Parts: sequence; structure tokens; C-alpha cells
Amino acid sequence: MAIDRAAHVHEQFLAKVAAEDLPASSGDVNLSQTGLSQTDLAQIYLSQMASRQLDRAARHLQQRGEGYYTIGSSGHEGNAAIAAALRPTDMAFLHYRDAAFQIQRATQMPGETPLWDMMLSFAASADDPISGGRHKVLGSKRLNIPPQTSTIASHLPKAVGAAFSIGLQRHVQPEFPVLPDDALIMCSFGDASANHSTSQGAFNTAGWTTYQGIDLPLLFVCEDNGIGISTRTPDNWIATSFRNRDGLEYMSCNGLNILDTYQTVSDAARYIRKHKKPVFLHMRCVRLYGHAGSDVQTAYMSKHEIEASEDNDPLLHGARLMLDADAMTANEILQSYQQLEDRIARISGEIITRPKLLTPGSVMASIVPPKREIAPTNHPSADDREILFGSDLKQMDKPQPMAKLLNWALADLMHEHEGIVMAGEDIGPKGGVYHVTAKLSQRFGPRRVINTLLDEQSILGLAIGLAQTGFLPIPEIQFLAYLHNAEDQLRGEAATLSFFSKGQYTNPMIIRIAGLAYQRGFGGHFHNDNSLAVLRDIPGLIIACPSNGRDAVQMMRECVRLAREEQRVIVFIEPIALYNMRDLHVPDDKAWTSLYEPPGKGDPVKLGDIGQFGKGTDLAILTYGNGTYLSRQAERVLSKSHKIKTRLVDLRWLAPLNEDAILKAIAPCRNVLIVDECRKTGSQSEALMALVMEGTKHKPGLARLTAEDSFIPLGKGATVSLPSKESIIQAALDLVGGERS
Amino acid sequence: MSRIATTLIVCPGRGTYNKSELGYLARHHSQRKDMLATFEAERARLSQPSLQSLDGADRYSVATHTRGDNASLLIHACAMGDFQAIDRKRFEPVAVTGNSMGWYISLGCAQAAGLEGAARIVNTMGTFMQETLLGGQLVYPLVDENWQPVPGRRAQIIALMNEINESNDTQIGISIELGGMLVLAGNEQGLAAISARLPVIDRFPMTLANHAAFHTDLQRPVSERGLAELRAELFRKPTVPMIDGRGHIWQYATTDPRALQAYTLGAQVTQTYDFTRAIQTSVREFAPEKIIILGPGTTLGGAVAQSLIGINWQGLSSKKEFLERQESDPIILSMGRDDQRLLVV
Repeated sequence: MAIDRAAHVHEQFLAKVAAEDLPASSGDVNLSQTGLSQTDLAQIYLSQMASRQLDRAARHLQQRGEGYYTIGSSGHEGNAAIAAALRPTDMAFLHYRDAAFQIQRATQMPGETPLWDMMLSFAASADDPISGGRHKVLGSKRLNIPPQTSTIASHLPKAVGAAFSIGLQRHVQPEFPVLPDDALIMCSFGDASANHSTSQGAFNTAGWTTYQGIDLPLLFVCEDNGIGISTRTPDNWIATSFRNRDGLEYMSCNGLNILDTYQTVSDAARYIRKHKKPVFLHMRCVRLYGHAGSDVQTAYMSKHEIEASEDNDPLLHGARLMLDADAMTANEILQSYQQLEDRIARISGEIITRPKLLTPGSVMASIVPPKREIAPTNHPSADDREILFGSDLKQMDKPQPMAKLLNWALADLMHEHEGIVMAGEDIGPKGGVYHVTAKLSQRFGPRRVINTLLDEQSILGLAIGLAQTGFLPIPEIQFLAYLHNAEDQLRGEAATLSFFSKGQYTNPMIIRIAGLAYQRGFGGHFHNDNSLAVLRDIPGLIIACPSNGRDAVQMMRECVRLAREEQRVIVFIEPIALYNMRDLHVPDDKAWTSLYEPPGKGDPVKLGDIGQFGKGTDLAILTYGNGTYLSRQAERVLSKSHKIKTRLVDLRWLAPLNEDAILKAIAPCRNVLIVDECRKTGSQSEALMALVMEGTKHKPGLARLTAEDSFIPLGKGATVSLPSKESIIQAALDLVGGERS
Repeated sequence: MSRIATTLIVCPGRGTYNKSELGYLARHHSQRKDMLATFEAERARLSQPSLQSLDGADRYSVATHTRGDNASLLIHACAMGDFQAIDRKRFEPVAVTGNSMGWYISLGCAQAAGLEGAARIVNTMGTFMQETLLGGQLVYPLVDENWQPVPGRRAQIIALMNEINESNDTQIGISIELGGMLVLAGNEQGLAAISARLPVIDRFPMTLANHAAFHTDLQRPVSERGLAELRAELFRKPTVPMIDGRGHIWQYATTDPRALQAYTLGAQVTQTYDFTRAIQTSVREFAPEKIIILGPGTTLGGAVAQSLIGINWQGLSSKKEFLERQESDPIILSMGRDDQRLLVV
């Protein structure tokens, strides 16, 4: 039978401490150099022991069928010393092996109950104070530890964003400030995930930022245990790879040695706070017990290698330090270790009785964040707007297309809400590739209209970081097709934050994405992407897609309200082909332009409000975006040439779908045609077909017209696979005619 | 009981030695002669009436028995006696906490101060408070008769306090978070103002006789005197973990006596004492099987129970459930009650 390594490490610890058979002192730093007292040192060591005992308890719980998480922190306990060298106001995005960090930080804030809290999380109890039983995450609102999964380093981009926000807030006031100006951001990860493209992007962005002299108080901590699940990190890879990166100050410490780690992190923190530049801290440590409870290390490691790690148990090294510093005797160490075990065993008996999440409603309760109190704001005065818009004001007397209207709406919103910060590629002085952000940089300055580097993960990471620290970011993804390499920042991070934190942490934002097709042959697939499938299934995400300029203005204002008041994450899809569309039926009819409605004017478009054109009952067309535009053209032909009376429903909001409003709108109609410019597979049309089938009693004639399952080519072929005015007319005739016949 | 129950010890605060407690020391602790002699020496040092004379008085006098310089060490003596009386074959203290002045008693129980030292701390601070007697305290409920939070009540009180504090000459703040009660403290004007504006509910708002504005900034002079008089050498590492009025845990290995002195005579004196959090942290982090409230008095049981109900401890969610639990398998044993005392000694 395989040896239980956790039990072996435990037994070895007891025996070696009792015999004072401890590793030789592993560093040159002594207690007096660090400024720590003996009791400070003992506290760090106790946090390490608590972390260890929690690991053991997690395994015991799992064996009893009461626990659901066995990936431990054993071997990484050096991060307790990192916590000790930082402040609780230093927001920490933690590696999943950092329990000791959180336990130690909890000692810096009276009234914390870290053992109780972590045991609840092992048992996935609804009482778990951070996630409410939704995930085993480290995290605490009070301790400034936002929860997330850290397994694929997806938390690094937002750590960069949060660090950026600290520098920014000295110039721009966030509406909901979270961190003091002298805070830094700590972000830890393993040696294996340091290789991830997401983390590499974050290191690059950090370097790119600080290289330009922009403040970025950020401590990256790479906890190098030498192995990722079963794949070894090549010897010296981390040091070699990170020692000479521009913009990243490399420091290293021995994570087995509390004093060395504490001293190095103290130096790093001083450097970061003084210079506002990032540090890459390489903390060497070991991994005990394997990757998780189910991992059999002997399949890929020799006995000798396993034992070498175990002989370097940080608790044994810590015991050596305690004795050398006269901070604890061997007997006191063993007593404290036993007392922790006893305490945790008693806590274990209590937490297994605590409630679990047993209904869909309780699981889902925090997908949508809670509303928050906001201070009322005033719309810009006439005088302000005169200064703000200058000569543009004259143009406001004339109807304008969507891009121009949206640009003005953004300007008015940025004027009204100082916390709004925009970020994206080329959105600054150039004003974006379609001029939607024109003059915003000149009007509000480069700090609020940030020209980012070419990395969508970093753009969304910046937005998440800004949002978590109280700003209201409006990031831009230049083209829908570019979202995909960064999609996890939205799907795995931004959208899950409220869910995994019981609504305690939120990152409200509006992600503007120029997208969809119909660009008259230009751009090909990457500028005409017509699939929203990756967004549609993300729980809690709002997708807005205006079809015209007036709606775009009102919907953008509603999105800002939704972000500020309801803390929602919103994707705002802007149909590129409609940005500058002016005419609808005939040249120069200007029917697709609108007068700009200043703040407070015009009928608002609230979340879920559908747009409706016509009251016909022969046919309802359900559509959005370019589909609305084309269906309006088709509608006129259907009415005039075929006497088919139509009502056109513009969804405006693709998620959540206002099903009641849609069903009510189509209820009197004998036929329903769904026109979807996105690809047949995975498009909104699938949900709409299902909705009409399931939600109508009168079972109207039903058909859909969608784009083909194709990518978009260049040139004349660019629109052949897409719905057109003609194909909509034909589909309508087929549907209505079929019914009549 | 066949085995030793892990136990949280809760030390009582001021106001627990009342008429029915007269004679408590004599009844329960006359045999603890060494302990009493130590305490009486402290009384003699300050030429104060002996504890045994106070305890043995013919009748209870509010004016005499509730004075800080008399009540403090008298209560401490009763509580320390009770702590010593606990049957260690059945109860193992795994943590100690206390309410307000009960923090000083906790020091004694956890040996974070010696018998003599703890007596000195208690008596000195009680005397300083009596001499300075700045402001006062009143009690007001946050819960209804079934110990359920009254919606909006806390917000209402806080809003009232904020309004009152806008005036320069009125001061009012939260002195103690006491389970289902709030103890408010302030200067006379502040207390008068809030008393006039809080809706009357039964006997509340109830002013506490001979109490000062404990745990508020008004006590700063007392804190300063305490820090000057009671040196760090009086403080030690606790042999049993202590949970203070912020919910912070003091343990043997991690306690710096100077830090303990600084908290005990500093923030503990001048900032809100969160007894609710102390209890909640204690049970969550030490998961004791039993909670023993040291005598004298029986007034702390409700606050402890309400603190437990506040976190749904072991499923307790109401006064009714708590009382039923007490009948079947008592979780709280209050040594000030004769029936429960019998289960402990």
C-alpha cells in the first residue's frame, strides 16, 4: 500500500521537532535585521502551522465525504511571511496555495476567524463567508483578498489593472474608492502558470507600462515549487527567464526561511512604494503531498525526490528558526501544533452541520451583483456642454449617424461621471478606428482615455482592475474577432467575480466592442465577425446591441446606470456597418440618423426594453443590429408590394432576453420570422426559436433566416452568406404565403 | 459527564454584583483564603474598604457597591473564585474572554497577569474610573422579546447618534456591542439628548448607575493614567488563549506583554468593546463544547446567547430554541445561577 505522504510529513514533523533534529539554518538573515520581534516571528510560524493543519483537515473531511477540496498549501507556507511584510490594504490576488498568507493577514485585522472560514470553504457550506459555498477560493472582503481561480494565471492581468488604478487615482477620483494611495497590489502564482500566455501578457504589460514611467505598484510573487502537477519546471527556468526583464525588478527569496522571505518582501515593498514600479519576487519553495489528494506522486517522481522535498518541509525550517531566535521551544511548537489540530478537529465537527447550497436559487443568488447606493449626479449644464463640445454643438442641430451620436453620449457621460475611464487600442488622440472616441482624449486627457498596448487580455484585465478599485471602466475591444483571445478575462474572471464572492466583490464595466458584418467587402472575417455565441451563455452578462444612433445613446446611458447602480458587467456590441449609416430606403433620406438627445432628454431605453416598429399582425420579425436595418427595408416592400402587414421587434438587449416583452409583442401575429445576422449555429436565433415554440399558445408560423455557418470573406462575397433585404423579403413571403396557401 | 468538555470561559463586567449577589464571596469562596488575602492587600494598599466588608455588608447599597473603586475588584474576586472552582476533571478551558471590565478578569484567568497583578490592574482602573467618572452609559435593545433583530433599529440609533454628535457639546457613541443590546456612552448632554429621542421600550433606555463613558474617547485621561501607573511588567503571556473586545486572539507564543498592556490600557479603554464579536470569534475559532460564564450575576447569559443566535451557532436562531437547548443539553452554564453552578463545580 502506498505511503500516505501527508501522514508521513506529519509524523516526521513531530519526530524531528521532538528530537530537535532540524535542518541547518537556511539563510543569513537574523531576527534583529528584520525588525520582527520574537512574537511576530512566532505569529508567522503559527499561521504556517495553521495552514498545514487545515490541509490535513481538508483531507480528513474529504475522506469522510464532507470535504470537497484537497489541493493544499503545504510546502508553500512561506507566503505567511509575505503577508506579514505587507499591509492589509495591499490588495492581494492569491495563488490557490496561499492559505498561510490569508491566515497571517487575518491576524492583522482583529476579529477575523480564518480557521472557521476556511473549514467552511472546504465543506462548501453556504456559510463560507467569501463564496457562500460556491467554490473553494481564498478570499476575504475585509482582508482585501478578492477571490478567483488562479490555476491558469488568469488573475494576473487584473492585478496589473488594479496596480495601475492606484497610480491613476492620484489624478482621477474613482467614484467608489477602495485602496489608499500608498497601497500596492500583490499577485501570486505558481512556477508552472508563470509560463501561461496570460501571465506572460501581464508581465509584458507591466513592463511596457513602467517602461514609460507610469506608476505600477505591483508585487508579482512566483511561488516556485519546481513542478506543475507532474511536469517539472526546468532547473533555473524562472530565474533565467525573469532575471533580466525590462521593467520588472527581479528579487528572490528562500520560501523555506521566514526571515529571508520577510526581509526580501519588506525590501520589495519599500522599493515598490517608493518607485511605484513592479517587482517580480521569485520565492523558492517545495510541494508536499503532491498536487491534490488524488495525485500519486510516485507515478512521476522518485522516492528520493519526494523525500528530498519532505526533508525541506518549511515547518521544519521554521522550527529551526524558532529555536535559534528563542521564539518558541520545541515543546511549545509541538504543543501549539497539537492545539491547532484539536481546534480544527472541533471546528470540523461544527462546520459539517452548517447549511449547504441545495437549490438552484441559492446557488445562483450572487450571479447578479447586489445594487449599491450611489450619489445623485447632475447632468452637465448648458454652459458646461458649451465648453465641452465647442463647435460640435452646432452639429447637434442636425440628425447624425450612430458613431457621432455615441461619441457625444460618451463625452456627456464622462463629463458627468469622473470615475469613467476608457481604455483600448487607438482610442486616444486618433479617436478609435471608427472615431467613436474622437476628441475624448483631448477633452478628458490621456489618463481617462487610455491608449493601451495591443493585448486584449490586458485591456480587459485593466478594466477589471479599475472596476475592482472603484472606477467605472469602459474598455473597447477594437473588433469582435479580437475578443476571443481575451474571452476568459470576461467569462472566467469578470463575470464570475460576484458569483464567487457572494456579491461582495464586483467589477462593473461596459465593454464596447465594434463588431458584426456588412462592411461592403472590406476587412474579411477579422473585421466582420458575426458570432456572439461566446457571450450569450455567460451567466449574468448583459449584452446590448443597438441598431441605430438614438437607441445607442439611450442604451449607453442605461448601461452606465446599470454599471454604477447595479454593478453589472455589460458588453455593448456596436454594429460597425451602422456606425455611419445615414440612409434607409433611398439615397439621402437620412432615415437612419437621429438628432442627439442631450442627457435627461428623450425616451430612455431601459434594460429589456424592446424596440417596435409597425403594428401589423400578418408577420412579426424578431431581429437586432443590422438585421433591424435590413428588416426595415424589407418591411416597406412587404407592405407596399405584398400587402403584408408587419411588426418589427428590435431586441436591443440580447441578454438577458426580455422574454415576456417579446412574447407579448408577437402574440397577435400569425407568423414570426427571426432574422439573425449571426451564424446559424450558436446564434440568438436558436434561443428565439425555442422561445417562440415554448412560449406561445397560438403557435404562429415560424421561420428563421440567419447567416450561414461560414467565416466572412473579402470582396463581393462578403455578404452573400448573410441575410439581406431580398432574402428577408423572400423568407417572409415563404412564411406568410405558406400559411395562406 | 464522562469526559472533559472543552470550555470557553466568559468573564463578567461591571454591574454584575447586585443586591442578590450580596454575600457571594462569603457563600462561595470563603475557603480561598490566599486568593482573598491577595485581593485584600490590594484594597489595603489604597486604603479602600475590604472586599469582605463590602460583601458582608448588612444591606446592598447602590451608592457603595456599584462604585468603580468598590465594584471592580469585588466582581473580580467573585469571578476569579468561580474560575478556580470549576471542576477541571469535567471542564477544560480552551479560551477565555470577557465583557468590558471582564477583560481584566480574563487576564487573571489566563494568567496573563498574576493574581496580584490582575487585582492591581482591576482595582486601579476601577478606581481611576471612579475618580474621573466622565460621562455615563445607557442600555438599549437591538432585538425583540424573542431575541430577533428589530429591522432598522441599529440604523435608527446610529442615525440619531450622528445627528446628536453634530453639536459640539454633545457626545454619544457605542460603548459596548452586547449581544442583543447596545450600550451607549457619552457625556451628560449626549446621554440626555439620546435618552430624550430614543423611543421608550419597557425599561429602556436604561441608564447605568455609577458607570462612566467606558470604551469611548472620553476615557482617554483614564487610559493615560493607567498606562503611566500599570507597567508592562504586570503583563505576561496568557497560558490559555484570550479573545479581546475586538475579537483579537492573544496566544502564548504570539503575545508580547507590552502589546497586551498597550491594548488593555489603551484601545480597550477608549474604543468600542465588541463583546458580541468576542463571543462569536471565540466559538468559531475554538469551537468549545460548553460556555461557562463566571459569576457574580446572571445578566451576561442573555448577551452571550444573543451573540450565538446572531451567528446561528449550532443552529440556534431564537430565544425559544435557546431555552429548549438549555433544558436538554445546556450550552451555557452560568455560575451566578445556583442551578447551573452545581453543574460546574
